[in-house]
Amino acid sequence: MKKLVKAIVAIIAVAAMLTMTACGASFDANKNVTVVTRGDGSGTKSAFMEIIGLKGKKDIAGAIIAADTAAVLVEVKGNPHAIAYDSLGYCTDEVKKLKVNGVEATVENIKNGSYKISRPLSVVYKEGNMTGVNKAFYDFLLSKNAQEIISANGYVTNVENPADYVKTDLSGAVAISGSTSFYPLMTELAKAFENVEKSITVTVKGGGSGTGYKDAENGISAFGMISEVFTQSKAESCTYHTAALDGIAVIVNKANTMESITMEQLKNIYDVDAGENAVKTWKQLGA
Amino acid sequence: MNSYSLGKHKERAVKGAFVFCAAFSIIALLIITAFLFISGAPFIVKTGVFKFLFGTNWDTVSETPSYGIFPMILSSLYVTALSVLIGVTIGLFTAIALYKFLPKKAVPVIRQTVNLLAGIPSVIFGLFGLKIIVPFLRDYISPTGVGYGIFASSLVLGIMILPTIVSICLDSLESVPKEYYEGALALGATNEQATFKVMLPAAKSGVLAGVVLAVGRAIGETMAVIMVIGGSTDMPTSLFQSVRTLTANIAMGAMDLTGDSFTALISTGVVLFVFTLLLNVSFSLLKKEKKEKAEKKK
Repeated sequence: MKKLVKAIVAIIAVAAMLTMTACGASFDANKNVTVVTRGDGSGTKSAFMEIIGLKGKKDIAGAIIAADTAAVLVEVKGNPHAIAYDSLGYCTDEVKKLKVNGVEATVENIKNGSYKISRPLSVVYKEGNMTGVNKAFYDFLLSKNAQEIISANGYVTNVENPADYVKTDLSGAVAISGSTSFYPLMTELAKAFENVEKSITVTVKGGGSGTGYKDAENGISAFGMISEVFTQSKAESCTYHTAALDGIAVIVNKANTMESITMEQLKNIYDVDAGENAVKTWKQLGA
Repeated sequence: MNSYSLGKHKERAVKGAFVFCAAFSIIALLIITAFLFISGAPFIVKTGVFKFLFGTNWDTVSETPSYGIFPMILSSLYVTALSVLIGVTIGLFTAIALYKFLPKKAVPVIRQTVNLLAGIPSVIFGLFGLKIIVPFLRDYISPTGVGYGIFASSLVLGIMILPTIVSICLDSLESVPKEYYEGALALGATNEQATFKVMLPAAKSGVLAGVVLAVGRAIGETMAVIMVIGGSTDMPTSLFQSVRTLTANIAMGAMDLTGDSFTALISTGVVLFVFTLLLNVSFSLLKKEKKEKAEKKK
């Protein structure tokens, strides 16, 4: 009998803890900002830090380091005081996207340049290499077929009035390597291309933007992928085509009362050397 | 070929197979050790042993990266100490309760439950910590509004190491001769006095061995910790603060760091390896002592 009572008490205690956890969290502007960031190998992180002017700086004290894009969303969804950044195509309605400098993070605003936190995903190539199967893949990147895939995956297209892709009779192999940020989209594009051109195979490899420049310059790959603004000095004899723009959204919990944030504020939140400008509470951000 | 030599050949082949199996784990240990030290140790020397072990700045993205793992060593020690404190307190009293104070019918039920706990994969403990413990600490306990950190990890690990402690403590209590207990009662001791003053001291070395084993489990655990520790590389100054243990440092960077930063992770592994090696050696020393004592008694 005693045991039964004890068991019931234990079950009630656990149930109470669960419900408290589930509905207890509410937003309080006096609480500290929980800064969520990504691991040092993340392309999203390096792009974000560069855009807000903190290239090469280490994480601020107390930052929560999420393992991947999914983990970022989970943390922001559950924590009313969290702030994070995530690939725009990946964000769901379960979190709130903040306006940056008053501009909403949408595909249109990234296209017209008013939303600042975005980065180009480009291919680097040699003009002289654009023959045969390589030319076919390049044409495919410019085609309507490719633009549909780019939009469908949550990226912003960069080609005006694309034409339908015309199938060739070529066979062979196309080699692509470079940025890991561009990698998932490129894999989708390559798959679609291979579906149309049954006798052309496309190999997509990672390695990072640096590898993308080097491989294109040295002729190891026909296309190098980069997820930053093209720098001619990194690949002297190459030119580039920006295949898509990838937005980075600044996200907070649904319960958060903030609607908009400035680049200056973002910098102060993520800057390890912000000193007296460092943001601690949500109140300091005007919430 | 006659049947005799065929049998001899067969025998030799089987013997070879057995020797190979016996040698396999030794070979594996040697290869792992060699890999760790050959690829990790030179980097520690290059960075400077003191700078690597006691440096407080871990920064892999800067133009002048620095690799100091002191915050992670400290965090690992804090998490281990606190989780063992939680686990040993609860586990030891569980074992004592199971030994003498609970109705005979309840004992197998509780014992089985504790053993089931041992079978839960660590990633499940991690999920439990991430979805229940961290938000609970964040909203109701933590003074800083952060649920991640040493306290959350210690809670999760404390639960994880319970089965180890309970079963080892109970085994060592049960291996104490019954005459001790009966003798104490005969001298007028109560049940409590006999258990705490006679049986527990007699089982001391077994309990200590359980603690050492639990420490080993806690310091090496990665998956459950990585999900509730936060991951920041700061010096630990609070129980509720995002920090990083040695294991978390390796797991967080292993998939996407390259070059020197990756080598630094292997070097972190060397430090962790030395830590666990020391623990294992002390465990076997304790076990040896226990055996010698038991033999003396006979």
